[in-house]
Amino acid sequence: MNDRPLEIYLFHCSNCLDTEALRRSFGEHERDKILKTISLPCSGKLELIYLLKAFESGADGVLLATCKRGECRYLEGNLRAQKRSGAIGALLEEIGLDKGRMKLVQQGEGGVQTVIDELDSLIETIRSPS
Amino acid sequence: MIVAERKKIPELVEILQGHKKILVLGCGTCVTVCLAGGEREVSIISSALRIASKTGGHDFEIDELTIERQCDNVFIEEAAETIEKYDVILSLGCGAGVQAVAERYAEKPVYAGLDTSFIGVLEERGVWTEKCAACGACVLHKYGGICPITRCAKHMLNGPCGGSREDRCEVRPDRPCGWQLIYQRLRGIGELDRLKKIEATKDWSPSLDGGCRMIVREDHRI
Repeated sequence: MNDRPLEIYLFHCSNCLDTEALRRSFGEHERDKILKTISLPCSGKLELIYLLKAFESGADGVLLATCKRGECRYLEGNLRAQKRSGAIGALLEEIGLDKGRMKLVQQGEGGVQTVIDELDSLIETIRSPS
Repeated sequence: MIVAERKKIPELVEILQGHKKILVLGCGTCVTVCLAGGEREVSIISSALRIASKTGGHDFEIDELTIERQCDNVFIEEAAETIEKYDVILSLGCGAGVQAVAERYAEKPVYAGLDTSFIGVLEERGVWTEKCAACGACVLHKYGGICPITRCAKHMLNGPCGGSREDRCEVRPDRPCGWQLIYQRLRGIGELDRLKKIEATKDWSPSLDGGCRMIVREDHRI
C-alpha cells in the first residue's frame, strides 16, 4: 500500500467554522494525514472547478462544511453548495473515483466536533474502499 | 439559442484514447449561455479528463482555450497559432462549431465534446426547453406564436390529438400540451378563428429532409 499521508481538503464557509479550534482538535500530531483548509466567504461561492482542482492536485478526499439549513447569511448559499456537492459526486463517479471521497457536512450544534467526526469518517472511507 | 449537453467523461476518454496533446476548445456563444461549453465548462471538463487520465493510466496532456464563436472562421483564425500546437481538438462547440473547426484543419482530428440537443430558450435557472425545429418554413404566425411542430409531440398542424390529460401532453406528461398552449394563446389575442381553417400537409422539403440546407445572400457577396 502507498504509505504517503492522506491529503484531505476542507472547504468551509467562513461563517460556520473556527479552523484554529478544528486544527487543535483534529489529530494535530498524527503524521498520516494532511489537512488543507480553504475558507470561503459563503459556501455558495463554491464552484465545481474548485473541487475538481482539489482532486487534480492530489486530494484523496474533500469535505465541504456549510451552515445549517436555514442559517445561511446569504439565504441560499448552503443550498447551492449542496447541489454542487451532488454534481461533483456524480462527476467523480463518471471519472471512476469513488463517490465516498467527497462529503458534505452541515454545521449543527455539535460545532467543530461534527466536522472532525465527518473528517474521520471520510478518512475511514478512503482507507477502506468497499 | 442552440442548447447542448456535455458528453460523459468515459465516452470522452474513449474518443480521445491514443492521443496525447489535446486542446479542449470552448465557444463563447450559445453553449456558454446553456452552461455546456463555455470557459467554465472547458475548465471543468479539462480537469475531469486530467483526473481520468491519471486514474486510467492514459497519457493525456490537456490544455484549454475558449474562443468567441466556433461557427465563424474569423474567430477560429484568431486561435490558429494555439490550435496548431495540438494533436487533436476536443470541441465544446455545437455541431456547427465542431464542423467549422474541422473544416479549417483538414489534417487534425476534431471531436465533439457535446451532444447538441435543440434550439431553445432558458425557461428558468438551469432549465432549457426546445422551441424551434428549424423546419425551414415557419408557421408561427398561424398558431399565435407557438410552434406546433416543436411543442406538439406529434407535430400536428391540425390539433389537438385528443390524448392530452388536463393540460399535459400524453407523450411527455412532464410537458404541457402544445395545442392547449396554442388554443389559450389564440383565445388571448382574439384569433381563435384561425383554428377553423384546415392546414394542408406540411411541405418538409425546406427542412432537413430536402438535404443539407444553404442560404446564399448575393447582396452580401461583393
